[in-house]
Amino acid sequence: MVNTRLNLNKERNTRLKGLMARIAEHRDKEAFEEFFNHFAPLLRSYSLAREPGATLLADELAQEVLIKVWNKAHTYKPELAAVTTWVFTLARNSRIDHLRRSGRFSTEIDPTDLFENIEDEGPDPFQMAQRQRIEKRVHDGLRQLPIEQSQILAKVYLEGKSHQEAANELELPLGTVKSRVRLALQKLELFLKR
Amino acid sequence: MANYHPTPEMLTDFSAGNLQLSHALCVSVHTQHCNECRINLQRLNSIATTLFDELEPASLPERLKDSVFSQLDNEYVEDQLPVKINTTSIPKALQQFVADSYESLSWKKVSSAIQSAHLCTDVNGSKVSLMRIKAGGKIPMHTHTGKEYTLLLEGSFSDENGLYNEGDFLVRDERHKHRPVVSKDRGCVCLAVTDAPIKLTGVFTRLINPLLRRGHFSY
Repeated sequence: MVNTRLNLNKERNTRLKGLMARIAEHRDKEAFEEFFNHFAPLLRSYSLAREPGATLLADELAQEVLIKVWNKAHTYKPELAAVTTWVFTLARNSRIDHLRRSGRFSTEIDPTDLFENIEDEGPDPFQMAQRQRIEKRVHDGLRQLPIEQSQILAKVYLEGKSHQEAANELELPLGTVKSRVRLALQKLELFLKR
Repeated sequence: MANYHPTPEMLTDFSAGNLQLSHALCVSVHTQHCNECRINLQRLNSIATTLFDELEPASLPERLKDSVFSQLDNEYVEDQLPVKINTTSIPKALQQFVADSYESLSWKKVSSAIQSAHLCTDVNGSKVSLMRIKAGGKIPMHTHTGKEYTLLLEGSFSDENGLYNEGDFLVRDERHKHRPVVSKDRGCVCLAVTDAPIKLTGVFTRLINPLLRRGHFSY
């Protein structure tokens, strides 16, 4: 079961990379349509996770990200990240821009440079091979986490809640939320050992 | 090599895009000195990716596709400025505030050993500034009335708890009372984000607390 899913996932990633190449090199609208069909519903869903009911905002985010994909396809580096990872970072940045426009985040600080220097940095070949292994490990590991741990990660990543906000909502002490996140990260063996 | 890092929760909030931007600025500058945290952040992105990938797809209004496709042939203007050749040692994330050297900022004297330059204010009122302290400079015993995030950009200093070097990321709050001393061989430059003014606790220096409070709110 796990294996089929893994292969499916790998297959889809290869497929998406192929689409990206056709979009970047040939401005292929058919490829873009397939890309759109896969991602537009996920992007809307991502926006709705943070602001339920805000359907216009969800449309706006999906539209903004997909047009960025079309215009910036040539900047995607397949050796650095899976297509879905790249799309996620675009969606997250679009969410941050929205928070700035609505006054919840500072407009005096331009977030572009804050994130780019981390994601664009080319890792060495050893790290690259490792990165793919880690993506798989995380993918499988997340399913095996106890629900109370994965629930908090979903709140943080999808609903855009800080640890404090997650704690308030779940009526848990902040310390409990923090330790659940740490446990989850430990189980996923995500962090380099210090 | 940095020895003091942001907490795992802070890195998680950063990669999710939840961190207020002044704090995100400190984390970003830290990762320029710290390969380890940069890799950890890249790895955290794979959690985000998996969760994103497994979202229940939302239904699509038909017009969305039309709207997107109608914009594909619009001329696209690259929104980025031409890439500048980086001749400075200023971290990329800070270049939006510091053009070419720390020298060019308008520094204000805080004490004989300390100068500060205001960069911006975050939405919650946090002040983002650079602090410059002379070699061998002593900072009077103080505590914090809110949280203070410090990122050491140049030089080194020490306090009762340790020695801090370039790239180190420190969080101090009301529980910490300390008296940092800058190393004798060179001055230091820090990025500081303060939620509230610091409070001096020495008998004599307490007298200037009202001035510090005024400094915090005067921008």
